Formats: sequence, structure tokens, C-alpha cells
Amino acid sequence: MSVELQHPMKPELTAEEAARGRFVSGIRSLILNDLAADMKAAYDRRAAPAFARAHGRPPQTSAEAHKALRGDPAFNIYSAMRVQAQKMVWASVADSVEREADRLAGAAAAAGGRVTLNPALEVPKNVGAIEVHLMPGSYTRGDDSVEAGAVYDRGLAVFSMGLMGANLDDIGLSMSRYIALKYPDFRPRRILDTGTTIGHNTLPWKQTYPQAEVIAIDAAPGGLVYGAARAAMQGQDVQFVQMCADRLDYPDASFDLVWSSMFLHELSKKSRAAALAEAHRVLKPGGLMLHMELPPNAEMSAFDGFYLDWDSWYNEEPYYKGYRDEIPQENCVKAGFAAADCFQFVVPSVGIYGEQAIADLVASEAAEAVGQATTGRLAEGVMWFGFGAWKR
Amino acid sequence: MSEVPRPDDTPPGLYDEAGNARFFADPAMDRFVAVVMNMAQELWVQEERLLALEEARGATPVDREAKLKAFIDRIFAPIRSA
Repeated sequence: MSVELQHPMKPELTAEEAARGRFVSGIRSLILNDLAADMKAAYDRRAAPAFARAHGRPPQTSAEAHKALRGDPAFNIYSAMRVQAQKMVWASVADSVEREADRLAGAAAAAGGRVTLNPALEVPKNVGAIEVHLMPGSYTRGDDSVEAGAVYDRGLAVFSMGLMGANLDDIGLSMSRYIALKYPDFRPRRILDTGTTIGHNTLPWKQTYPQAEVIAIDAAPGGLVYGAARAAMQGQDVQFVQMCADRLDYPDASFDLVWSSMFLHELSKKSRAAALAEAHRVLKPGGLMLHMELPPNAEMSAFDGFYLDWDSWYNEEPYYKGYRDEIPQENCVKAGFAAADCFQFVVPSVGIYGEQAIADLVASEAAEAVGQATTGRLAEGVMWFGFGAWKR
Repeated sequence: MSEVPRPDDTPPGLYDEAGNARFFADPAMDRFVAVVMNMAQELWVQEERLLALEEARGATPVDREAKLKAFIDRIFAPIRSA
């Protein structure tokens, strides 16, 4: 199903634009549910047995599953259609953003959101030069206008098929609910969201901890301008700042919580390590670093690992597989956290399963069960993977 | 298409000279898949316009999501046997 954004920056679509977006969500549902199941069946029936005959063992890694499937008719049709559907996501929202550019700019200016840009900041290649997720213009489209933010917001609404919530905040809502229930004595007073894009998963932290000062940073200016307006229009007091996560301009021990969602896999290995070290540096003792991310390959079968790594080869996510080949806890330790203070977990989507499902998981301590079949995918059911560490 | 670094273990032959992903032996097939999907989208846009006209004339409102699913399933049924 398609989703209609519920915040004041939402598009005023023509009937034709709405139909285009609805179609793209529908075709993505066919691809990610039905064609993905067909590909898995083909893997079990043809590809994996053929690989085993050739190598004397079944595929054991994501790369080997990819090698086994490459050229299979089910893989070919799934992949070709998924690439085209991804291009259609962005194409389906481009017209409405262009048509509404003046209205959006005016609304953003009137909203009075808090945003601080840094024109001297050199925007990293992964933010401005790589068309991540086949998104034309990447995150810096339109420079510091609201264009990039509007394209991302509207495109993600089409992309997510309703599985990321009405305002694309399901990850933040699910994770913040989990932390609040799991650690009731943890009451952060200062929260930093790194790689916020448009702040869609920042706002739930302000809602969960309304007394906290919440700062959201990103390297791309346009998304910040849009995100600040989007937050202000929803009555959320969040400060947006142009800054890189691997070079934080904040003093040591200045935050209680450092958070990110779907961010680390878009960084190079070097930047990712630096970002984690910076998170450790700016956390106060007793503070929490928390990241929602894709689950690591080590927790998954060869096919399931390949299924997620597909994006790295075909969806302009060059660092995605390298990130997923890493072990989160090892990265946390390298950043300065103690191994005993690291943890990982899986929580159900609050939008799909409800708040009680999260409460039940916390009560049963089952949320640490990583590697479930739906983890990290936008399929009919969604579970979000997270990891983090406490700073002593 | 931007210049994109690839994962270290990327197999050869995944992309054409412009860096576009290729899946079929005949590159024209990749383009043909995109054409079919674009055509289906255009047809659906017209379908929604017809639905709107019919509803304006008093027809019972139609559940767009359910109708779209049936529409997509019908058009793309042949590829389910891949």
C-alpha cells in the first residue's frame, strides 16, 4: 500500500501523481514479497544445488549466494524489476516537488525551524557525489533549498509502502519505545542524532524524552533546512546543524545519547570507525550510543545475507556490504567501549505490531534474538535491528 | 550515473560501460523490462482516471489498493513462473 504523509509539508498531489506513486508502491510490494519468494524458491531448487555440485558444498556466504543466483531467471527478473522500480520511486515524486517548490520554500521560511548551516563544510562524496539508492542528485540536490529533503521525504513514502509509518518515523518510534521501556532509569537530557537526513527518526526521541535538548546533524544542507521546517511544523523543538558525524564539533562528554538510523552503512569503513569513536568521545559517562542498522551477515544465512547485500551491487549502496560484513560489537570496542557494555537487539515495528508487542518483548527479554527472517527487510512484517553500547 | 565505488568482492560483468546494472544476456531485455513497467504504470494512471470519472457519475467507490493489486497480479502473472 502507499502512504500519505501526515505532516504539514506533505505534498498536494494531483490525481495523476497520486496514481503514479500508488502504482510504484504496488509494484514494489509485488517485487519484495512475491518475486523475492520466487527467487528464494529458485535458489533452493536450482541455484544452490548447482553451486553445491560445482563446489562440493552449498553457498556459505552472501557473495557465494549471489554467485549461485546470478543468471538465474528468477534473479534476473527480480533484479531488473527492482532496479526499475527504484528509479520509478524518485521519478514519481519529482514532478510534485518541482511544481510545489515555491510553496515549500515559503512554508519552510515561515515555519521558523532551527537550522545552522556551515557553507565551509566539505560535503563528503558519499553524501553528494554518489546517487545513493539511485536517487538523482543524491542528498545535495538543490543545494540548500528544500528540494532534496522534499524528494527524500516523498520518495521514502512511496518506497516504504506504508511500512515506515505515516511520517516515516517507525524506526525512531520503535527504538525509542524499546529503550524507554527497557531502561526506565535512563533519562537523557541531551540527545544527538547523527546522519539525520530530514529528522524523520529524530522526532520520536523528542517525543519520548520531551525535556531533552535534541540536536540533529547531517552533512547535506537541503535535508536539514527541510527537516527543520518539518519538525517545527509538527511542534517539535529540534535543532538541525550541518556537521559530519566523523568530525563532531562538540566537546567531550557532552551528550547522554548518540543515535543514528540507517546511517552507518552509508559511510566508508574509515568514516564509520571515526563516527563511532566520535560518539564515544562526546558521550558522558553513563551515556548510550545506539544505532538502528541492517543486521550483520554473521547473523544470517547465505541467502538472507545476499538478499540484503543486493543493494550494495545494484542500488548504489557501495559501503553496504562492507558494513554488513563487520561485527557491530567489534566496531564498538574499537571505538572505545568495553565489550561487556555492548549489546544488540531486534524490536518489532511499533506501527505494525503495536506498543504492547514491544512491552512484551522487553518483559520476556526476547528482544535480543537477532537474525529473524524479517529483520531489516521491507516485507510484510518488519523487525528493526539495533546495536549499541553504554559508556562507563 | 555517478562514479560509484563497488564492494571489494564484486564479480566482473555486473555493469555495462556506463555503470548500469545488467541482468540479461541481451542488454535490450533490461530496457524492455523497464518499458513494460512504465507502460503498466501509465495504464494504471488511466485506470484511476476512469475510476474517478465513473465515481463522479454515481458508481460505487472502488478500493484503489485492492484494485491495483489485482491489476498488477494480472499483468505480471507470466513472470511468476520464472
